[in-house]
Amino acid sequence: MSLLSIRNLRTEFQSPSGIARAVDGVSFDVEPGEIFGIVGESGCGKSATCRSILRLFGGAPARIAGGQILLDGAGDLAAMTERELAQVRGRDAAFIFQDPLTALNPTMKIGRQIAEVILRHRKASRAEAREAALQLLRDVHVTSPERRLDAYPHELSGGLRQRVVIAMALALRPRLIIADEPTTALDVTVQDQILRLLKERRDSLGTSIILITHDLGVVSQICDRMAVMYAGRLVETGRVREVLDAPSHPYTRALLAALPGQVGRDRALTPIEGAPPSLIAPPPGCRFAPRCTRALARCTQGDPPPLAPRAGAAPGHLDACILDEVSDAAA
Amino acid sequence: MPQLEFRQVERRFPVKRDLGDLLARRDRVWLHAVRGVDLAVRRGEILGIVGESGCGKSTLARIGVGLQPADGGAVLFDGHPLDGPDRAGRLQMVFQDPYSSLNPRMTIGTQLAEVVAHYQPQLSRADRAARVQEILAEVGLVPETALKFPHALSGGQRQRVSIARALCPGPEILVADEPVSALDASVQAQIINLLKRLNRDKGLTIVFISHDMNVVRYLCDRVAVMYLGEIVELQDSAALFAAPAHPYTRALIAAVPDVRRPQPLAEPISGEIPDPFALLPGCRFAPRCPLAEPACQAPQPMRALGPSGLVRCWKAVPAT
Repeated sequence: MSLLSIRNLRTEFQSPSGIARAVDGVSFDVEPGEIFGIVGESGCGKSATCRSILRLFGGAPARIAGGQILLDGAGDLAAMTERELAQVRGRDAAFIFQDPLTALNPTMKIGRQIAEVILRHRKASRAEAREAALQLLRDVHVTSPERRLDAYPHELSGGLRQRVVIAMALALRPRLIIADEPTTALDVTVQDQILRLLKERRDSLGTSIILITHDLGVVSQICDRMAVMYAGRLVETGRVREVLDAPSHPYTRALLAALPGQVGRDRALTPIEGAPPSLIAPPPGCRFAPRCTRALARCTQGDPPPLAPRAGAAPGHLDACILDEVSDAAA
Repeated sequence: MPQLEFRQVERRFPVKRDLGDLLARRDRVWLHAVRGVDLAVRRGEILGIVGESGCGKSTLARIGVGLQPADGGAVLFDGHPLDGPDRAGRLQMVFQDPYSSLNPRMTIGTQLAEVVAHYQPQLSRADRAARVQEILAEVGLVPETALKFPHALSGGQRQRVSIARALCPGPEILVADEPVSALDASVQAQIINLLKRLNRDKGLTIVFISHDMNVVRYLCDRVAVMYLGEIVELQDSAALFAAPAHPYTRALIAAVPDVRRPQPLAEPISGEIPDPFALLPGCRFAPRCPLAEPACQAPQPMRALGPSGLVRCWKAVPAT
């Protein structure tokens, strides 16, 4: 049984010019012990999707307009009251933000912040909580952890801060960690260390991780399965090597073709022309069709196509393109 | 003769001392953002400067275009020191965030015309407008863009506008500081193509500052790698990526996630860039380096590497 099943999730944001459907009918499952990547460009709804799970909208005028978020053993998070959901946060599922500085209280020592997370959910003495915090810092390979307990966030480097945030997320041994661009603000050598750390936690504790990123390289490095998101919808999903090595949706292909490193220096890169559609009044049919070089008239009619398997595709490799054969091989 | 040359360029900042330091009469401590950098930019090339945050690459770029003074050394343009407006006309800079470098209350056309007027005051209004249109076309923007305000443009269009503005004075060198880092991959490709075209078609020299090794590998002819204020390796791009010589360059390249392979092959380096205040006299990378030996604590000069490369590591060059 899946740890998390998201069914037809719809999340709306109130904006001055109307209601933006940031997440518009998204469904996917995350298995126990799996690292699931969601990739897409800015504004595609990947962040809104993962924030919907624990309803962490940070005060933005957002609401879940429909669908189910079924967490094994906890029920439908989308149907819970704020109070019920507060019990799930941290205990069953924890969230790691892109910028660790905003996730930490600047006026509180690291040790106390971690201890607070523990004390909020279980009975322990202050000394026990502090000891647990120390162990958590050790688990995420913070150097000289005893000293860091009494440090303030601003005294730590970016990489150390993100380790502290991960330690806090791990504090209650949640079965699911949702990480929203956890390494985007970090240098590449530190990113590498943090990604290895997340993978190590999954390997040792069997924690499931949803990793949101704009970087296909990061997905390639640590994810098992992935979904590609465009304009509020999933357009392709499957095992990482299948999606990246044999992408079947034109958007995934275009995204990969735009990356430097895929062509020789003597050839121009292939950008995707145009811009993503409005989420307030999206065009009919496939939302990528207006920018798709292969689009036919029928691509721009009716509802957006659902994810479906393609003949000959690997099991679980689905895409949302109605064209029969995307023949111009990308890989 | 190199078109732009940095000679022993230094930039340091005094570190704030607290009362205890003052009472103990401890010496003023300096943070060297840029330390003894020698770098020659060749006419018509795209030179990449890479490194992680705090390595001094942006400071070096700003010193190059004259936005920041150097505390030591010299910057030469065609062999001569260059100052004031003369420098601005020949060297222009493009920044990471185009939004903050454009005036939100002025149409694109007005902003660009202002820059043109500043450098070519003899032009009539009509000629200025024509010049603006010419530059917009050059960066791949439609003529109507001139009538728009920055907020009405997409991120990619805005970055084209800031490149257009940099082109207004007719510069010979463009210094671009992380110009594509804030852009999505699909848009990033447009800007990279544009820079490449400007370099090829107009012979514009480009100094490209970036932390993104994939972009640098694709775009640059030569690459300088910086670590804690110093250049640690300088090589032709192809040679650098095929056979990185400095252990730091190797670690940097190995840490870049690749869409084509699942796991990096090399062992990661441990730790982070250390506190720049408490540095040893020798190799600055030694505390994190898997190959470090006691001899690394001696000062490390740049050593010749192949026909045109340089590396600041005694272990990276064959013993002679």
